Amino acid sequence: MQLPAAQVAVLQAANADDATSVDAIAEATDLPPETVTGAVFELEDEGLVAVAERVDETITLTDEGAEYAAGDLPEIRLYEAALEAGADDDPVSMGQVIGAAELDGNQVDIALSNYARKGYGQIDSGEITADPDADPNADAEANALSALEDDGDGDSELAADEFSTEIRDQLERRGLLELAETTTREVTLTDDGVTELMAGLETAETVGQVTPELLTGGEWEDVEFAEYNVEADAEQFEGGRVHILRQTADRVKDVLVGMGFQEMEGPHVDADFWINDSLFMPQDHPARTHWDRFALEQPTHIDELPAELVERVERAHRDGVGEDGEGYHSPWDEDFARALALRGHTTSLSTRYLSGREIGEIEPPARFFSVEKVYRNDTLDPTHLLEFFQIEGWVMAEDLSVRDLMGTFEEFYAQFGIEDIQFKPHYNPYTEPSFELFGTHPTTGELVEIGNSGIFREEMLEPLGVECDVMAWGLALERLLMLMYGFEDIRDIHGTLCDLELLRETEVTY
Amino acid sequence: MPTVDIDPDELRELTGHDEKSDDELQADLFGLGLEFEGRTEDGAFELEFAPDRLDRLSVEGVARSMRYQYGDARGVHVPATNSAEWTIRVDESVPDERPYVTGAVIRDIDLDEESLDSLIQLQEKLHATMGRKRAKGAIGIHDLTMLRGSPATEGNPTIEYVGIDPDGDRFVPLDSDAELTPAEVLEEHDTGRTYANLVSEYERYPAIYDDIGLFSFPPVINGRRTEVTTDSRDLFVEMTGTDQWTIDKMLNIVCYALAARGATLEDVVVEYEDGESANADSNGGRTQSSGRELVRPDLSTRTKTVPHSRIETILGIDLDPDEVIDLAERSGLDAAKEEGDNDGELVYEFTVPPYRVDVLHPLDIIDDLGRAYGFNELEPKYPDVGTVGGRHERSRLEDATRTQLVGLGFEDLLNFHMISEAENYDRLDLDPDAGVYGAGEPATIKEPYSEDFTMLRTWVTPSLLMVLERNTHRAYPQHLAEIGFTATVDETENIGVDERRHVGAVLANHDAGYEDAKARLQALARRFDVELETPPTEHPTFISGRTAAVVIDDEVVGVIGEVHPKILVEHDLEVPVAAFEFDLAALQ
Repeated sequence: MQLPAAQVAVLQAANADDATSVDAIAEATDLPPETVTGAVFELEDEGLVAVAERVDETITLTDEGAEYAAGDLPEIRLYEAALEAGADDDPVSMGQVIGAAELDGNQVDIALSNYARKGYGQIDSGEITADPDADPNADAEANALSALEDDGDGDSELAADEFSTEIRDQLERRGLLELAETTTREVTLTDDGVTELMAGLETAETVGQVTPELLTGGEWEDVEFAEYNVEADAEQFEGGRVHILRQTADRVKDVLVGMGFQEMEGPHVDADFWINDSLFMPQDHPARTHWDRFALEQPTHIDELPAELVERVERAHRDGVGEDGEGYHSPWDEDFARALALRGHTTSLSTRYLSGREIGEIEPPARFFSVEKVYRNDTLDPTHLLEFFQIEGWVMAEDLSVRDLMGTFEEFYAQFGIEDIQFKPHYNPYTEPSFELFGTHPTTGELVEIGNSGIFREEMLEPLGVECDVMAWGLALERLLMLMYGFEDIRDIHGTLCDLELLRETEVTY
Repeated sequence: MPTVDIDPDELRELTGHDEKSDDELQADLFGLGLEFEGRTEDGAFELEFAPDRLDRLSVEGVARSMRYQYGDARGVHVPATNSAEWTIRVDESVPDERPYVTGAVIRDIDLDEESLDSLIQLQEKLHATMGRKRAKGAIGIHDLTMLRGSPATEGNPTIEYVGIDPDGDRFVPLDSDAELTPAEVLEEHDTGRTYANLVSEYERYPAIYDDIGLFSFPPVINGRRTEVTTDSRDLFVEMTGTDQWTIDKMLNIVCYALAARGATLEDVVVEYEDGESANADSNGGRTQSSGRELVRPDLSTRTKTVPHSRIETILGIDLDPDEVIDLAERSGLDAAKEEGDNDGELVYEFTVPPYRVDVLHPLDIIDDLGRAYGFNELEPKYPDVGTVGGRHERSRLEDATRTQLVGLGFEDLLNFHMISEAENYDRLDLDPDAGVYGAGEPATIKEPYSEDFTMLRTWVTPSLLMVLERNTHRAYPQHLAEIGFTATVDETENIGVDERRHVGAVLANHDAGYEDAKARLQALARRFDVELETPPTEHPTFISGRTAAVVIDDEVVGVIGEVHPKILVEHDLEVPVAAFEFDLAALQ
């Protein structure tokens, strides 16, 4: 049998009848104890040796213990000083005795608290008596300390069982000695080990690490590489990864670009004109006056709005659009239109693009999208955030029908495994017809809301100068993420309360 | 979205469909867009719906819609009204802020507990929606027998809508035994306190008088004298508001509901005095009511002309004219074929009933037709138009940079854009005016959700330190990066805010140091082929002597350094952190 050198040495040093300690083997083989221990475990795995573990308690003097072992315990010094002062006959002033005993600092307290306990005498009202029959030479604690000191091996260490438990505990309480546990491993050859030893062992030449010297010197040709435990877990490594919500956003962007959509970009802080007025949202609509809008305290108003467009939008609000059109019976105030807020939806990007003021006039057919943040002063809970990503998309073409809208969404959601889209007629101020989109949850099979959609109203498009049809939809990206991954609390993912471990361990999808 | 509570038994009775089970009713309601949310304690359906069809805010309105859906009713129905006996005179003293009033008399109503509850619910729901919490329109319903019309010159009994001094008179409001002035109602009465904000700024408070005295304090509360009970047989409905059209429509919805209960409607004359307020309509729609004398309720219908071709293109299907007319009648509309101006193309004139408040444009008619047809009957098709897709340059740069950061071992993060002053500045020992990278005047939120989200962050490093703070129990190293949105006030921008993307990165580990951060920053600069210099600088967030400006292509665009122990301790961190942050645009 071929074994590494250390294992061969251990096998040869051990025997089948008596257990040999690792230390003894280390001494015999002249190998470091840790090498021997390693070899022993390898051999145990091979079934060539048996390993027994013994736990020994040892006792060591503390510094204070060593001091008293060399001199005397404070209570003995006090007793001797008291005898000297004649306290075996009559009580003597305590101060005088303490001075004579040359006790100072906390030794005084130690001496006094042990004096009476151990029967050296009485202390009462500042006076001290000494019991003439007490014998310091018979003080078990003092003798135990001396025994530890005189142990002779220089490490002031004794096996725990050489003491009475009572004395040992007392001294440990006094902080004069320490108990320690040591584990001793003893090795015995197994029958297999004996057999292999009899059959003869060869030493294998092994190398732990491939080194530059090994490679350049050509020695690699003659060596064997030490076997690793290739099954063992390695250290945990994290490395970088793209945030899971970003990955989902990227996936959505890929799908939309593949469907012919171009990406939009625009300001997060925007005038209510772009966020709401140009969407034909009446100024007294609950969503605008409601507290879910994040108005800015500073700065308060946009510098400039395109005057002619503002006028057209105001006219649509007041009088409607077209011969039979009617307007809202709501107030309209340009100051409100100019007020700044964090956008509550990215439809503000759509209106900016549709107005022809972002990238010039857009000619049909066209498809645009964005996956950007929106802000709502709603609630912060496991399924709602104050800021989240909205997927926004629109298609511009001559004569679009609701069937085109349905076909587009079926195609989009199918890419995420969401099938059987249902269209629930709905109401939005800026689309007509409007639909809430429902889909079947890919894992639970529940019917869940997956978006809001519709054909932009003429009252919105006409002032923006758009003369064909535009259909649009919106959906929270976080909702799609939670559908795809089944997360329960979105706050673990998005924001400063995020849990790095969850982000690190989320399964990769594609 | 509004909700309405509907007793299924009442619904069966009003629709005349006793045979419908609760489940069937729920399915039929879903078809109308009324979603079943659960049941009330009394077993009524709680229904949620979009806020367009406000004529469905009561069981009577829902029953009407279902009768159309079932085909039991067709076309427009307008209830008859008897000619006016009562007059509402609007005095010049009426508050300028709330100049409009409308009303109707309801006779021979048989109210039981359920129908009274339903009426009260309708009133509340209309207040919450069209009435904009009573600001735009408020409803008062009174027992007519308790009113005594002032002896008017022309013989009609008359009540008066006036403006009075806040402490100018006393009355006993509903749910009270005390005689209070309007001002006292706002302070001492629960309902008064709830709606005090609507009138407290007024110089004169709105009040309605009959010959006996003050009996209503709109939009706050009615007097107890005219309280409606199940014994009431004749009612006086008045509404005040800031817009005539809005209160007239609210009145129509109430009148239709009561007519469906078998009541007889009776007109009321509204007489406006000549006064300033007569021109104060928010919508310029004053012409309608400038005749000084209105007869209400206004149950006139409106018409919308819609081309056949537009109906077909929006729905994406071919339709027979008869089918269009059938769909219209099943939606409660009337339709007549006509020849349009355009080469005699086929158009329809649709008649819209007076309770509809949602029909502004021909498109709204097409939506009705689509609902009657059943949108889910339509077959989806992919639009047959080709377009070229693509990403915005900014988002491509962001993605490319993120890919590099991840390759350099950073975990990509995504934090909130809203933050508090304490987190953004104080906890990083930064003053907004410090003139260093990351400082700057914040864009602040007027009514923040909580004190944790009062402004937009001016830099990304604070968010990253917050994540480190939250994750001290997780394994190190923690190398985190974020390409994130930041904003500072900038008067030179049209929106008053300079919005940027910053690249922020932190390296937290027992041996993290300046060099680790610099090595990664250098790698980024190399990969984007930009020239990086890091001259020493001072920054309160970082250790002096271990801080440098990030200079890319000769411009200062960021900061790099070892985070100061003071800030680490503040964030409960027990490991050193090296960090850098700079403008993403510098890599362009």
